Amino acid sequence: MEMTSSVARGRRRANPYLDLESYDPEADLMVLNLGPQHPSTHGVFRLKLYLDGEIIVKVVPFVGYLHRGVEKLCEKLTMVQLVPIFDKNDYVSPMMNEQSLVMAFEALLGVEVPRRARYLRTVLAELQRIASHLLWLGAFAMDLGGALGGGATLFMYCFRERELILDVFEELTGCRFHYNTHIIGGNRHDVPAGWAAKVHSALNVIEPRLSEYESFLIVNDIYIERTRGVGIVDGALAMELGITGPVLRAGGVDHDLRRDAPYHCYDEIDVRVATAEAGDCEARASVRIAEMRESIRLVRALIDGIPEGPLGARKPIKTPLAEKATEGHSYAAVESPRGELGVYVVGGGDNRGASPYRLKIRSPSLHVLGCLPYILPGHSVSDAVAVLGSVDPIMGEVDR
Amino acid sequence: MNPWLRGLLYALLITNVFLTITAWSIWFERKFSGRMQSRLGPTFYGPWGLLQPVVDGIKLIQKESLIPASADKLLFVVAPPLTVVLALGTAAVIPFSSDIIAADLDIGVLYLLALGSLTIIPVWMSGWSSNNKYAMLGAMRAVAQGVSYEIPLVLASLVPVVLAGSMSLSDIVRFQIKNGWFAFWPPGPGFFAFLFFLPASLAEANRIPFDIPEAESELIAGVSTEYTGMGFGLLYLAEYLHTLVISAVASVLFFGGWDGPFAPGLHWMVLKTLGLFAGIFWVRWSLVRFRSDQLMSICWRYLVPGGLILVMSAGLWVHFTRGGG
Amino acid sequence: MKLLGAENSPEVQQLLIEQFSATATTIGGPPEIAVDRHVELAKILRDEHQYRIFGFVVAVHYPTRVKEATEAGEVIRVSYGLRSVGKGTRLASWQLCVPVGQSVPTLVYLFAGADWQEREQYDLVGVRFDGHPDLRRLMLSEDWQGHPLRKDYAIDTKVHPWR
Repeated sequence: MEMTSSVARGRRRANPYLDLESYDPEADLMVLNLGPQHPSTHGVFRLKLYLDGEIIVKVVPFVGYLHRGVEKLCEKLTMVQLVPIFDKNDYVSPMMNEQSLVMAFEALLGVEVPRRARYLRTVLAELQRIASHLLWLGAFAMDLGGALGGGATLFMYCFRERELILDVFEELTGCRFHYNTHIIGGNRHDVPAGWAAKVHSALNVIEPRLSEYESFLIVNDIYIERTRGVGIVDGALAMELGITGPVLRAGGVDHDLRRDAPYHCYDEIDVRVATAEAGDCEARASVRIAEMRESIRLVRALIDGIPEGPLGARKPIKTPLAEKATEGHSYAAVESPRGELGVYVVGGGDNRGASPYRLKIRSPSLHVLGCLPYILPGHSVSDAVAVLGSVDPIMGEVDR
Repeated sequence: MNPWLRGLLYALLITNVFLTITAWSIWFERKFSGRMQSRLGPTFYGPWGLLQPVVDGIKLIQKESLIPASADKLLFVVAPPLTVVLALGTAAVIPFSSDIIAADLDIGVLYLLALGSLTIIPVWMSGWSSNNKYAMLGAMRAVAQGVSYEIPLVLASLVPVVLAGSMSLSDIVRFQIKNGWFAFWPPGPGFFAFLFFLPASLAEANRIPFDIPEAESELIAGVSTEYTGMGFGLLYLAEYLHTLVISAVASVLFFGGWDGPFAPGLHWMVLKTLGLFAGIFWVRWSLVRFRSDQLMSICWRYLVPGGLILVMSAGLWVHFTRGGG
Repeated sequence: MKLLGAENSPEVQQLLIEQFSATATTIGGPPEIAVDRHVELAKILRDEHQYRIFGFVVAVHYPTRVKEATEAGEVIRVSYGLRSVGKGTRLASWQLCVPVGQSVPTLVYLFAGADWQEREQYDLVGVRFDGHPDLRRLMLSEDWQGHPLRKDYAIDTKVHPWR
């Protein structure tokens, strides 16, 4: 049964600075605040919607509710001390944050990372990508179907699978969630015996269940109706806004830092990048699920071949003042599950250079949220929630 | 027996039984949904968590019932009990067995549909009187949805009426006992009428996949956003009560009521009602919800024309098999 | 003049030196160009060299007491980065040096993503952007006084009602 909706699909690029008086003097616009406390805004985030009936006319997002002054804190703490702080930016995929930070410091200090550490970092990044996308899938289903409904069921299943990966990380680092496992020049925790077998068993459970979830949600007619044609972000708008990651790839642009600007050990393996053409919620979801499968394939290909060698260019550092950089700017970026997560470091700060002078986190979610004023007008409130879920913003890294 | 006394006894009996079943249906839903989601559900209070509804009831009663300062006090306070009263009122005409029926009305189906359409009013009242944008949006959606889905509900309920030749519910059951349950015979109109009846009544009761008026992920709690304490408890209870009543009505209209392959009686009615009830929960915990305009388009584009065709085909069947009537 | 870890490609470097008289700075970082020419540079990079993905805006405050300060006194250095699309993606970055109080022309009309990034740098460091349609604070509340990422703003400055 092909069901089409009569709600006007918004123009692909609405005017975010729309002057409401000129919109329609007769219209009785209602202002609805989605947030900051709201079951589905993925963190504290306020979306001020101007509604004409149920149709959104103008969107004004407000961020900064989770602003903790991380960048200012970076000027106080030394480079060695910053790694655990960074776990809490994109709190859903902490491995990526740590990796981008230590890569920026390694570029600043000119430190060469041994191959074993780079290889292990690749494996950890891909495992983290699977875990992050599983969380996204559960949260997205909840946004569509409610915390008391079919969405909650899928949420529980996805978290059950995510626990398998977190168990693997706990085996390696001792922490389920915020690991502090990267150091400047390598990794801190070495692979325990039997770890590869555990990873294999976790992936063997996750992969068939992904197919189950697809049959549960992705091919469901209701889901397709809710996500097809909703919140279209075309490639050109995404590039202008600085959006990278699955949202950009769903708009048809084939750009992935793992393949195009390889770091860690990505130049040794062939990363197949998933893209889609439509740019709507369905496309973004399908890109993320394809990425999950690709990450599973990559981990399976890599996990048995971890090379021998030192795990760090230097021994794990016990003193905060051990690393000093008195000058230079550096920038390093990783492909996080949300896009290009970059860290820009200016060396030569306090403590005779042990702290950065300035550190800026280029967070993908902040750019992604910038697309909302352009794509939401013309949709209804339910669509706003579905779009927010599909673009997967993490407020920790938006606000820092 | 004095008809007033009989009426009072039946009212007490039905109210108590239904409310008890509804209270434990909350336990059942939490256990059932928990097991579906690979978790346990309530286990703490009582064996298998069976005292959970009691504890929940006590908790809700002892909470402070806040009335927002700018709310319309009368409507705010009256809406939750009114929802429960209307849901219970529909139970008055349901034949639980050949002798157990509170009011054997000749126009049973009409009474059911009338009360069913009245249930939209307290839902709207609670949303409007809260003086809250989210509740208001929920209330408007509830009215639009409820009023639209009335029509397929009426059309689907008309099919058993036309086939049985009577609006009285016990007559419909007796006809099914003689000629076969409407869901399976006559093949065609009855089965599809059930397939139309179910979504239409789910939409009347605001259950997923039609629960946009109380969509938690969008509207906090929809019409019940501003309710606390027992007001919230009553609205919550009324939703389950309404679902139970729908299951009972569906088993009467389409599955033969108290009929069974052997030993017809109350137990078959209970079995069918609870079976449909569990099925509605299963649907709730598996599907995501529709958007309001998609909901409307399903109703007006598919269910209404389909319902009309069904009623006509039922009429034609009766005409050709019984030569008019 | 390098941005360690993400150097400009040779073509961009040549473009910067030849057409925009980019100079190295004493403190390192991407090449520095004149403030009023950077919009032109961004346009050329976007249209002719396919640097279409908006990267970042970083503003850094150098008060006079810091040894890296220039003779111009208290300055704010703003670094921009743009990324090219697809295979062989590179970052193109440049630096601007503005005395405190002077403003930088905005890139909003070329890259919509500059909107929020510039608002954030205005909010935290205090550099104004000329021509920005809606330059107000992004992270902090509207009535916040001061710009926290400046070097003269102590990390434990009392701000009612949070401290």
